Amino acid sequence: MSLSHEADYVMSLLDKAGAEGDLLIDQQSSLALSVKDATLEEHKVSSSQVFGLRVIKDNKAGIAYSEASDDAALKSMVEQALVNATYSETEARERIPASSDETSTDDSLLCPVQETGIEEKIELALQLETGLTEKAWVKNVPYNGLEEVQRESYLYNSAGRTTHSKSRINVAYTYALLEKGEHNVMSGSGQAERLFSNLLPQDLINHVYDSSLALLEGKPVATGHYDVIFDEECQAQVFGAFSTLFSGKAAKDGINPMRDKVGEIITDPRLTISDQPLLTEGLSYHLFDSEGSLTRSVPLITEGRLDSFVHNTVTAAHFNLDTTGNASRGPKSALDVAVHQLNVAAGTDGSNSLLAGEYLELTDLTGTHSGANAVSGDFSFGASGFLCRDGKRVQPVRGVTVAGNFYQMLAKINAVGDKQRWNWERSALMPAIRFADVAISGD
Amino acid sequence: MLNPISAQSVIDHALSLGADFAELYVERNQLSSIQTLSSKVQSVQSGIDFGIGVRLFYGDKILYGYTNRPDEQELKRIASELAARDLREAVQSTKTFDYRQNTSIHPATRILSKQFDVESKVAYLMAANAAARNESATINQTKGFCLQREQAVEIFNSEGLHVDDTRHYIRAGLSAIAVNDQGEQASGGWNDGGLLGWELSEGLEAENTGREAARQALVNLSAKPCPSGKMPVVIGNGFGGVIFHEACGHLLETTSVAKKASVFHDRMGDMIASPVVSAVDDGTMVNEWGSINLDDEGMPTQRTQLIKDGQLTSFLVDRMGAQRTGYERTGSGRRESYKYAPASRMRNTFIEPGDATLDDMISSIDRGIYASHMGGGSVQPGTGEFNFAVTEGYYVEDGKIQYPIKAATLISTGPEVLKQISMVGTDFSLACGMCGSVSGAVPTTVGQSTLKVDEILVGGNA
Repeated sequence: MSLSHEADYVMSLLDKAGAEGDLLIDQQSSLALSVKDATLEEHKVSSSQVFGLRVIKDNKAGIAYSEASDDAALKSMVEQALVNATYSETEARERIPASSDETSTDDSLLCPVQETGIEEKIELALQLETGLTEKAWVKNVPYNGLEEVQRESYLYNSAGRTTHSKSRINVAYTYALLEKGEHNVMSGSGQAERLFSNLLPQDLINHVYDSSLALLEGKPVATGHYDVIFDEECQAQVFGAFSTLFSGKAAKDGINPMRDKVGEIITDPRLTISDQPLLTEGLSYHLFDSEGSLTRSVPLITEGRLDSFVHNTVTAAHFNLDTTGNASRGPKSALDVAVHQLNVAAGTDGSNSLLAGEYLELTDLTGTHSGANAVSGDFSFGASGFLCRDGKRVQPVRGVTVAGNFYQMLAKINAVGDKQRWNWERSALMPAIRFADVAISGD
Repeated sequence: MLNPISAQSVIDHALSLGADFAELYVERNQLSSIQTLSSKVQSVQSGIDFGIGVRLFYGDKILYGYTNRPDEQELKRIASELAARDLREAVQSTKTFDYRQNTSIHPATRILSKQFDVESKVAYLMAANAAARNESATINQTKGFCLQREQAVEIFNSEGLHVDDTRHYIRAGLSAIAVNDQGEQASGGWNDGGLLGWELSEGLEAENTGREAARQALVNLSAKPCPSGKMPVVIGNGFGGVIFHEACGHLLETTSVAKKASVFHDRMGDMIASPVVSAVDDGTMVNEWGSINLDDEGMPTQRTQLIKDGQLTSFLVDRMGAQRTGYERTGSGRRESYKYAPASRMRNTFIEPGDATLDDMISSIDRGIYASHMGGGSVQPGTGEFNFAVTEGYYVEDGKIQYPIKAATLISTGPEVLKQISMVGTDFSLACGMCGSVSGAVPTTVGQSTLKVDEILVGGNA
């Protein structure tokens, strides 16, 4: 049975039950290679698919999924979703969008033809290890490899709306363990590209080696308050840890601390933040969201003023708004919202003002998953980086923590750089931001 | 779940391709999830995962693939694709499966395949919500959850192993959010779980769950910024054991030891900790969250003494870890699902109790921190650098607890902190967690008595 027939079958069961719903089908194939001591250590291939159904009956929603696609499994999934819906709270605003359009992404953009053979991929994986092990002080390259993931996602809903997206990402990553006397350091990075041929392994090797070597003899700075500039990876991690700030779902649920502040100034006026799902350079590009709504640029904060949260149709209806095209749902999860590609607009500060005087450049954070409390805004992370003066690194720094309150920190900014930078996963595009007077614990 | 004749045919095919070892891991996972928001049921979800993982060894090389299709030809195709670059004459002879009846040492009664118990679970979460709100008018919101899972696995390998097992997991809890007049928010939470069915509820008091979540949120709402710098820290029992999990447990997994990516890789038999530290990883503890009957390579679980009186006595060893390091397997091969090859992982990991009291520890501190409840953390195995978050803590001065603190993180290195543990208490307890690593997220228990670390870097924003 083809996917469209399977979808028709599920929709016919919903129709018979007097329910509406939408069906997500995710198909994924992947390749993963890793290397140890100049030989292939792990070679993994996979293919999988999963069907995820949301039903709405009597204004109640239920979710069920199945990794099997035979008639009996799909029928059981529908029945289970209907049973699950009976337990849910009535939510009159949760409806299946009425559109019956068909939309597909452009394969030439998101999944361009790639004819790279397995030998070439193995060669790159080997290079990621050998390129580092031949360098001074490198004791080991314990984690490295290449991953290629190709994903096709389909949405069918009971109003006739269908979407299809096909995408591919190639990821190369490597971590080096350097040891020199009593000093050791381990750090790594990655590259992500839609085309294998765009990966630049030597650049990645050089970047990982240079950044590890620079930190090798790092030591704590004195405890105190410093101006802090996060590099593009760290800054994206910090904003990601507090993405609740932009969530219409968290606002609806009474958890988002900014839920009553739309229209108010909540950050330094030099900050303008938006969601830009249609930037094709980004690897979190979305033409439509998980409900099939078309996406668009969404202003979130303009010159310090909170404009909007991101919404799906349900959270938008709660606030008497239209969806912003930010519905997020996997086949196994309930409807939520998510920022697609966070964009902080470039400021006006060139290097002279951005990098003036003393500040800490933080290039590695640990504990961003556990040390951040999105409810209160409080955070405390382990950190490494460099003490800098007038744009020059004067001391590598390790063994310190950086702590504060993120929501308050957004209002205490000394400079916003005039150039935007992607993080390596290309999910966030931001300029360097110089945060003022941040607590650092060290010696 | 997979016909043994088909399994035998696939294993034989893999050996004919020259593999040293071949294994099939068949999994059917049934899941039920309930989430509440205040007094409302926010979502009820359920589903079934099914898939088969194919693992081949060629020397020390691991080849791994998986599929959703329980189809002999598809499994052979995967094996052939994996082995395409390593084809050679067969080096191992085939063996007929010898089915081994697995005896469950973790009984479960109210299991998912018999009943979903949705009404009972919702009633528990509603009662917990009411109890939290009764604690204070400043409790603004609660979120409850109950996750139940029934994981059936069947393992075949080229050494003739054929074994199956069913694991029943349950976990439930509540988080509460308190808001003050200035609009500042703070959160607290409590949860429990185990390797059993919803009979877990017989030992749960919804009122206690709600009250504890609210108490922690209220304490955190009143908390002051945390002082920073190096100082002594008393770490609470139960989930405080995450310090050992991060600081040492991950560094004892052969996943990092074999790569020489652990600072302890060449320290077997050495004194790596203070003599007051003895530590264990134990899969046999009845119905505990991190327990198992057998690991995901089919080996019966065991109790493994990792450190005895400060001396390193064992690593956590899976099949490939044993092959690469020469140490005996410890039944530690675990994986999240059929989508992952197994790796050496922790089970119920804890520091054994000592003889000190909390008063002994607090009164010995001039200026320091009492971290009564810990959050999660992470570790860099190659250097042993770790961090973890304090979710409820207090400033201690002149031997007395002074006031609650917020936004604190503890950072150090595994080798350093193990030597800095000077006192271990008697109030031993365990707590549930999910541990993420190369073979996915697996249920693990952490545990300890309250203990004192003489010096650790505290990151705060005072």
